[in-house]
Amino acid sequence: MSAADPHRSQPRQTGSQHGARSRRTRFGSRVRAWGRHHGAMARDSAHRLIRRPLGSLVTMLAIGIALVLPSALWLILDSARLLETELDESASLTVYLEATVGEREAMTVANTLREHPEVAGVRLVTAAEGMAEFQQALGLDDALARLEENPLPASVVVSPLETSPEAVRDLAAQLEGVAGIDEVRLDLAWLERLSRLAELGQRLTLALGVLFGFGVLLIVGNTIRLSVESRRQEIEVITLIGATHAFVRRPFLYSGAWYGLGGGLLAWLLLGLGGQWLSVPVQALAQSYGAHFAVPRLGLQGSTVLLFSSTLLGWLGGWIAVNRHLKEIRPR
Amino acid sequence: MIRFEHVGKRYGGRFEALANIDFSIRRGEMVFLTGHSGAGKSSLLRLLMRLERPSRGRILVAGHDIDRLHSSQIPFYRRQIGVVFQNHQLLFDRDVFANVALPLQIQGVEPHEAARRVRAALDKVGLLHREKALPIELSGGEQQRIGIARAVVNKPALLLADEPTGNLDPQLSADIMRLFEDFNRIGTTIMIASHDLALIARLHHRVLRLREGRLIGDENSVEEMS
Repeated sequence: MSAADPHRSQPRQTGSQHGARSRRTRFGSRVRAWGRHHGAMARDSAHRLIRRPLGSLVTMLAIGIALVLPSALWLILDSARLLETELDESASLTVYLEATVGEREAMTVANTLREHPEVAGVRLVTAAEGMAEFQQALGLDDALARLEENPLPASVVVSPLETSPEAVRDLAAQLEGVAGIDEVRLDLAWLERLSRLAELGQRLTLALGVLFGFGVLLIVGNTIRLSVESRRQEIEVITLIGATHAFVRRPFLYSGAWYGLGGGLLAWLLLGLGGQWLSVPVQALAQSYGAHFAVPRLGLQGSTVLLFSSTLLGWLGGWIAVNRHLKEIRPR
Repeated sequence: MIRFEHVGKRYGGRFEALANIDFSIRRGEMVFLTGHSGAGKSSLLRLLMRLERPSRGRILVAGHDIDRLHSSQIPFYRRQIGVVFQNHQLLFDRDVFANVALPLQIQGVEPHEAARRVRAALDKVGLLHREKALPIELSGGEQQRIGIARAVVNKPALLLADEPTGNLDPQLSADIMRLFEDFNRIGTTIMIASHDLALIARLHHRVLRLREGRLIGDENSVEEMS
């Protein structure tokens, strides 16, 4: 009888000694119900995406493409920052000796410099060595070999103890007074220019990140708007039979998150493929400069950040779209 | 169970959909609400479902002024009311079982318990064998019965129906009404908006008559109807 009769009320624990326990179990069952609905909606929204594979893929691809550019820029910037620290360490002065200074005299000058209290180390580059380096760097063996006289002066590369621009500038001024020294070349301006450039790059990346992140919000928002529209009747019905806003919102938030995650994965894939595609020419180019420079890759941390933020953006896009449209949908 | 105290409803400040509606319905009563279309039947039901708020007066349900409900409480209020719609409002993307289970899913009932209750409700409307069917595969009368099963599956104290027999032939309409009477017999308070006067006349229940937004009759006898 009781199984067949929908109106027979469930026996309830109303005794006072059961009150606390029943409240606790009721709370527990509500938490379980909440978790169950989350699981069900996560699966359901994933199924809905899979049921229209092409449309979902296009949306995810749009998100992925929007994420690739700022991510790639960030990667390049990150590797440039590594390069910059290396350059910082080699913030050295190049001291050109007078052309008349011979090899032995050059050694003497180098020794003098080495004893300077603010100098960490020196490296003498004789005129011949300078020529060899020059040839190697430019790959102009033949043209230079035809020169009858070596036009290059000997030089000393000085590493200062302190690398702050002011200290290096002071040291340079002191060294210019030393006998036999023609010119002290500072690469500070170049370093400063590089750091400005890095700052510009950072700002550009940030601006692009914000812009494209906003783009992702719009893409997800528009997709979710359409799906809200297509499920309007369902929303009206479940609102009428007592669904809370959170309940109504949940499937759409999961759709948004899935779109975001899918887009993030595609962006990750595109970055990987792009890196692969560029790695050969980049390495060859670096090698031709005698440098070692590998195409930067997203590590575990970078990948996690990318996927997490794309999922979050998708979720947020879903949230904005649903909230905007829930207000418009009033049950008939 | 339900008390309307001088309730008025205006739309856009001009059109007066309901004026000075005053009545009460005891727990366990079954009441028909009749009138031509535009008489205010739907407005009255919408007020009861808290889809709209009265412009004047107040509505008490189980002793609570429903106008005072905070918007976060409204879903919980609606869970105590079963609603049957004229066009049944089934969701066509899922089977009969899932449609009937919807209110229980919203309330977070354990799946095992929900399945038991869904089958009990389907059994009650005589469609237990169609639980795997899609709503599109059912006839109009069957769809309406599924709509009723969904409205009663969480054992609401109050059942509202808006033209539940609107699109059905007389035989099916009578079947549906009998179903409502069955639920009423177990103690559910029922309010049915309908303009099928012939059918109402045959069922000896209280009738509230609306005309142009005013209550013009509150009758218990069939004789006064005709």
